[in-house]
Amino acid sequence: MSDFDREIERELNRILGPVDSASIPAWRTPASGGFMKRLLGGTGAAIAAKLATGFAVAALAAAGAGVMTEVATTGSLNPNVWGQQVKQTVATCKTTLRASGVRGIGPCVSAFAKQHGEQVSDSHQASNARNGHGKGQNNSNGHGQPSDKTHGKPSTVPPSH
Amino acid sequence: MDYKPGDEADFERLYRTSYNRVLGTLMGVLGDRAAAEDCTQEAFVRAYRTWKDWRGDAPAEAWVHRIAINTAISHQRYERMREVGQVLRRIGRPTPPPDPASLAERSDLFKALRKLPPKQAAAIVLRHHHGYTNREIGAALGVPERTVASRLAAAKENLRRALGHEPKSGPQIEVGTFSEDSVPCD
Repeated sequence: MSDFDREIERELNRILGPVDSASIPAWRTPASGGFMKRLLGGTGAAIAAKLATGFAVAALAAAGAGVMTEVATTGSLNPNVWGQQVKQTVATCKTTLRASGVRGIGPCVSAFAKQHGEQVSDSHQASNARNGHGKGQNNSNGHGQPSDKTHGKPSTVPPSH
Repeated sequence: MDYKPGDEADFERLYRTSYNRVLGTLMGVLGDRAAAEDCTQEAFVRAYRTWKDWRGDAPAEAWVHRIAINTAISHQRYERMREVGQVLRRIGRPTPPPDPASLAERSDLFKALRKLPPKQAAAIVLRHHHGYTNREIGAALGVPERTVASRLAAAKENLRRALGHEPKSGPQIEVGTFSEDSVPCD
């Protein structure tokens, strides 16, 4: 062994000697990551979060659009007013029909639904035209039809006789 | 020592018996204790993940060393890229003082080791501090056993030049960064 070798060993021992006898950090078994865990914990989690955020934003936008439509057609910000309007219209219609000998509120509800559908359709068309989305007649599908089951049957309507 | 691949208790035993030696080798390669500790931890995590695949054709500690040296090489590459970025950001600002905590950072030998290719630096520590045989060094470096002697000779020659241990008649060479090809070794 040459002097140079001895010098290397001496210097290595001076620096690394304390390291050899230093305390060792406790071994902690790393969490085993299966395929699903990696999928859900890594990129999958990020994608899921983005999807959830996207759905939430879309739902909020849809709700906002619905509110804007109702505000536009009833002229009021209060949701109670929207139901009240239906109630009043149907009640007036019923009184008129009764006077002419017709019973039931079916024709009244149909008439209101038709009128409401047209208003909503017009509102959507105007909104789409403003936003430059066009094809408003496609968006009115189902709103202007008297037979539309999603419109014209407010829960506040009194039961028919 | 006998180890059973995939056995949790055996891995913990390997960790306890070889952690400090792996840390010492990486200090020789990186010249920085904090970085060496990070790489040692990272190496053991990597080793744990492939522990069941360990074949036993090389001593377990040499196998961990091999993983650790490769981890250190990756770390060095990353650090060099980062240093370039820091230098660019630091232009025009005062240089921060060096951390006085680390003995290795102040040692001429460790400064010189840091200039060597990582595998040459590791070979020096493995032989001259841990007393590894050529077979164990070959396993740790991922080279055939028959090339270990020439690699060690190349490492020592580069180190001798870096530390100014040239023969009296020879010129003193300034410390620089050596490549694997500085001295033919294989």
